[in-house]
Amino acid sequence: MKPALTKSSIRAALASTAILCVTMGVAHAQAPTLSQTVLMSGLEGPWDMAFLDDGTMFFTEKCRGLSVRLPSGDVKPLLGMVRSSGFDNIAYDLFCEGQAGMMGVAVDPDFASNRRIYVMSTSSLTAPASNRVMRLEVSEGLDAVSNRTDIVADIPFKPRSSAHPFGGPGAHNGGRVRFNPGDGFLYVTTGDTHNGVVPQSPTLMGGKVLRIDTDGNAAAGNGAPDGFDARIFTYGHRNVQGIAFRPGDNRAVVAEHGPWHSDEITALVPGGNGGWDPRPGMGGRPDCPDNYCGYSPNQMEGMDPGERAAFMPMTDLNSFPDAMPPAWNNNRLSQGTGSAAFLQGEQWGDWNGRMVVGIMGIGFGGTPVGQRIDLIDLAEDGLSVNDVSEMPLPMEPGRFRSVVLGPDGNLYAAMDEGEIYQIVPN
Amino acid sequence: MKHHLLAAACAALLASFQTASAQSAADAAEIYASNCAACHGRGGKGVSVYPSLVGRTDAYIADRLTTYRARERLGPNSALMIPVAVKLSDEDITSLSVFISTTFK
Repeated sequence: MKPALTKSSIRAALASTAILCVTMGVAHAQAPTLSQTVLMSGLEGPWDMAFLDDGTMFFTEKCRGLSVRLPSGDVKPLLGMVRSSGFDNIAYDLFCEGQAGMMGVAVDPDFASNRRIYVMSTSSLTAPASNRVMRLEVSEGLDAVSNRTDIVADIPFKPRSSAHPFGGPGAHNGGRVRFNPGDGFLYVTTGDTHNGVVPQSPTLMGGKVLRIDTDGNAAAGNGAPDGFDARIFTYGHRNVQGIAFRPGDNRAVVAEHGPWHSDEITALVPGGNGGWDPRPGMGGRPDCPDNYCGYSPNQMEGMDPGERAAFMPMTDLNSFPDAMPPAWNNNRLSQGTGSAAFLQGEQWGDWNGRMVVGIMGIGFGGTPVGQRIDLIDLAEDGLSVNDVSEMPLPMEPGRFRSVVLGPDGNLYAAMDEGEIYQIVPN
Repeated sequence: MKHHLLAAACAALLASFQTASAQSAADAAEIYASNCAACHGRGGKGVSVYPSLVGRTDAYIADRLTTYRARERLGPNSALMIPVAVKLSDEDITSLSVFISTTFK
């Protein structure tokens, strides 16, 4: 019996792609060769990491909770979720459902003096449930957290199933939290929760990038239009899971999932509109399943990504001429851009300053799965890319949920499969 | 002489079955790696919103794949499963179901 679907066709496609890459001149004269170490394995859906200067790594698992890996390699559980085991300290309101659960983690720039970290998680403290950003204080011994303060408590959560792909509860939460080293504010990315009215809403915190201080107050200069919640830095997003700040000017750049087409990399401007509006009746679109046009038309079948983009644009420049244009749209494909970081340091050779984007991989309607890490050379004005190439991975690819540059200058990558890798340039 | 011929024939037939079985398992492993592992994980544990296959029987897996192949929806991931399943032959489904049920225990 010959298998109907084998790796051979994929190998052929990869070979063609390799040839194409060479002819496009994306080989780098001084690109580093990479080696890797499996830093951790056997985790349950590792979602994000955040480091102290000595290499101490806080990490989240979507359905388990928050833990810390010490430079010695010892791991200490810090905050569990309902139904997780192995934690002395459990917050019973924290739960996981579908894509939702414990997600991003960030370390306070003044951690040395205030011991604070920030974690985004789904919580049952409200009905329906919500996503929230918690501020926690870490003990001197790095073995406990206390003084939980929920500094953002009103990020929407999808409570019920809907008639869409991935239509279960908990869809599209965003979930990344990052401090901008330039302005010191905390940026929080959120998702549209499969709710058509959320992204363009001035008051619902889904489909946004929030910019706040460490008490959850709006940062000055967010620039959202009159009538918008002052915490909103940008709006009109679908599901932003990656955000990073470009070395030099500290401009915020996001990586956002597309809807069966067009993953986008976008350099943000204060008060900007991402141009995503999945409401029925907008842009000439008719009624859509459960009042959400995000996967329309023909949401359960494959079709030309360009036709999809014309019908339901990720960035609708016709309806919103002033929307922020993406710098790159993954060649009109949607493969799941999950996270972003900038490489920094001479050890990265020609890649120094490039944005790395972890792509989880979604094979639908003829789209190649595409699990990989891309290297993106963003144009200075943020409106285009000078070059995009694929990182030659030193390990088998997987669902890259998080990429973080460590204090040692190495890249750390978490896969949904349960591993956290240290990727070292040589 | 007849007994020797019969024994040789049986041995050859058995060997062909074993070869076919091994080939079937290898094909199933390749199908899984190429089409299933990206979502269900290399170890079948499931990742993100994609369910675990650990502990599932071959009958369960075959039933689900056959249903998806018939373009019937089963839950929120049907849009991803149907295009994969429609390309599977009966033999693919059988070998893949056995592979999954015996590999991810």
